[in-house]
Amino acid sequence: MKNKNFYKRLFEIIPGFLTWATLLTLFVLAFIKPLWVAIFVITFDIYWVIRVSYLTTLLLFAYRKLEKEKGTDWTGKCRSAGSQNGLEFGNIYHAVLFPSYKEGLDILTPSIQALENANYPKDKIIVVLSVEERAGEEAWKNAAALQEAHGKNFFGFLITRHPDGIPGEIKVKGANATWGARVLKDLLDSKNIDYGHVIMSCFDADTCAEKEYFGCLAYHFLTNPRRFQSSYQPIPVYNNNIWHARSIGRILELSSSFMQMIETMRLEKFVTFSSHSMSFKTLVDVGYWPVDMISDDSVIYWKCFLYFHGDYTVIPMYVTVSMDVATGKTILETMAKQYRQKRRWAWGVENFPYLMLGYMDENSRIPLRKKIRRALNILESHYTWAIWAIIITFIAPLPIILGGGLFRQTAIGYNLPGVSVMLFYISLFTILICIFITMRLLPPRPKDVKRTKSILMIAQWLLSPVVAALLGSTPAIDAQTRLMLGRYMGFQVTEKSREK
Amino acid sequence: MTISDKIKRAIALYSAVILFCILLPVILSSALGYKIDLHAFKIYKTGIIYLNSSPSGAAIYLNGAKHNDLTPAQIENLKPGTYKVDVRREGFYPWEKELAVRPNMVTKEEHIVLFPLAQKIKRVARYPLAEFAVSDKNLIYHMTSYGLFVSNMDGTGLRRITPYSNWPKNILGKKFSPSGDRIMYFTSHDIYVIYLNPDKTATEDNQGAKIEQALNMEYPIVDVFWYSDSGYLVVVTEKGINVAELRGGGKQNVVLLYKFNSTPKDLYYDDANDSLYFIDNRKEEGLKEGNYLYRLDLRKNFFGQLMQLLIKKEEPANK
Repeated sequence: MKNKNFYKRLFEIIPGFLTWATLLTLFVLAFIKPLWVAIFVITFDIYWVIRVSYLTTLLLFAYRKLEKEKGTDWTGKCRSAGSQNGLEFGNIYHAVLFPSYKEGLDILTPSIQALENANYPKDKIIVVLSVEERAGEEAWKNAAALQEAHGKNFFGFLITRHPDGIPGEIKVKGANATWGARVLKDLLDSKNIDYGHVIMSCFDADTCAEKEYFGCLAYHFLTNPRRFQSSYQPIPVYNNNIWHARSIGRILELSSSFMQMIETMRLEKFVTFSSHSMSFKTLVDVGYWPVDMISDDSVIYWKCFLYFHGDYTVIPMYVTVSMDVATGKTILETMAKQYRQKRRWAWGVENFPYLMLGYMDENSRIPLRKKIRRALNILESHYTWAIWAIIITFIAPLPIILGGGLFRQTAIGYNLPGVSVMLFYISLFTILICIFITMRLLPPRPKDVKRTKSILMIAQWLLSPVVAALLGSTPAIDAQTRLMLGRYMGFQVTEKSREK
Repeated sequence: MTISDKIKRAIALYSAVILFCILLPVILSSALGYKIDLHAFKIYKTGIIYLNSSPSGAAIYLNGAKHNDLTPAQIENLKPGTYKVDVRREGFYPWEKELAVRPNMVTKEEHIVLFPLAQKIKRVARYPLAEFAVSDKNLIYHMTSYGLFVSNMDGTGLRRITPYSNWPKNILGKKFSPSGDRIMYFTSHDIYVIYLNPDKTATEDNQGAKIEQALNMEYPIVDVFWYSDSGYLVVVTEKGINVAELRGGGKQNVVLLYKFNSTPKDLYYDDANDSLYFIDNRKEEGLKEGNYLYRLDLRKNFFGQLMQLLIKKEEPANK
């Protein structure tokens, strides 16, 4: 492709440009045309309240599905399903890949134990623990200890060290995952196992899959006639340390869980996120995860989407995988951790140039409508992420502050604060639904946690407007600005540690 | 996603879109000051009157018709024009005004004060008094025929600080010194200073306060001001501006800084800069005859002027 770099930079600039152009235009107009900004703010507020209400309705739908499918004996269903689309349940293997860095045994052991506790034949599960070489000897010793302690319980337990500095790679999780997948491929080749029979689950080091996860995954894989053109997405919850985490961290991670639940109801936009699964055959066919991009979890979806000319979907699974809330010893430390984590997620905006360049491939046979729709989906989601909190909290009062005395005497100048506050209060009812679902998803309170913490689990939602103002949009603006300026981010591991 | 999920989602989505389409014009037009008349199928511009009163809870009458809300109230959807607005509350004098309502604008009357019909009067002190002075420390000094008393603003804590009671009858003014520890009062020719020591109660030797006549002026006094360091008084008589040093015992320096050509009026003393503003009729080249506003900066050259004047004064004696 001619001028590939030019187009890459162009597509990298577009999201940040749109965000900054919107915010700066609104800021300037607040001085010279406060009436326009006031009309925009009220329109946006109404749109936002209705959007939040709509998404909350989808959240309730998703939650009901989650409740409905809870307790399903998926493995039993697999057994009784018989041969489906040329595949027998007994031939399916699960490969669970944990790309890890410096996570200690306190993090990794529960993740492995969750596999042991799975309601699924363990002799069909292969664990791959791929440790970064740069993590040092301690990390390798931990991996070896885990293999020693748990290896005999599975069909296979591979540990491998991902070397540093492989040409073409940057220090990202995708590079480690790809290394681990290649090691697995060697094992499968040696055992003569068909890649098409292997489901690859790529988990964060702290991911604890619920008991029915592998049964549910196997069932969806088995019964899906297009099993190779699908990824399988569980619902991520952050229950591992939620009782010990700081309230700001809890709110943000619960909001992430809710967003993922909502996305399961919007399949046309659904993209893999965090811990997820897919056919190993597909993974090999598309050439594994990108080794030079941060957002490996979503980029692998787009890679498959391009590979199959747009004919690739994500199947939602109403089972949960539990991870850690990014939290710190103090509120500030928690905020900093959350900020960095959300910025890394917001770096998923790099998918936009990736997809657009993929579209420019001469061999691409994706229908134009689909191309436009999916590109706009990415652009819209990142654009909205970056502007919504800024508009609601910082732009909304600007016409009053900057518009001058005459504007304040106009009916709209006078009504603007009241209308904004009224719409804000209306949107608060969605918090009640969030509280309800939070309490339902919450794991039992550990014995070392006081009873009053249960009240905090409800009261914490009062902080949500403040959290939204501080961390709602700023990480996304940061990520988009860096991409726009060509100041590429490196992969920053969210440090995981649990209170003992 | 099952078909029922798709249907449920479609219902939610289209409901949201319909809700947006309904709410947007209703809320936006209302915020902009438009009203939709569904009967006449017409949209017209309106204005708003906002009223707030102290005390609140007053009834509002618009062109004689009682409005449902009490103050503070925002009366919306008013057609442009002039409205006779009455704000009434039982036990208070009513407030009324004609207010103009302009299209898409807000007319605000947010500082309406309603005064009670029967003002409550409270006697603060039980002694008849000649004069009183209030310090910025929220203390009242009562100048009575039984002595000088001090009390809180509500009259409580009253106590005598000196038995002195020889107050002149025709006091023209009283002023606290900037440091607050002295009260100066003056008649047409005499200036007195009360040196306060309010922490101490009166004893036979008058420890709570000491009163002394500071000056006697030849010409009628117009006004007296404290120079900022409280050690000097600026005395304006009908003839000139004088500066007098307050010094216990010994010689007292009094200097005439300026002679008026006409009787002074409209005096203003700028405490922050120790400048005196006054009007005088001076003949100056290039200026028409008449009264002009002048300023005398005391702080800048005060000590220099004072020293020069003192030296000049003493020169004949030295010769």
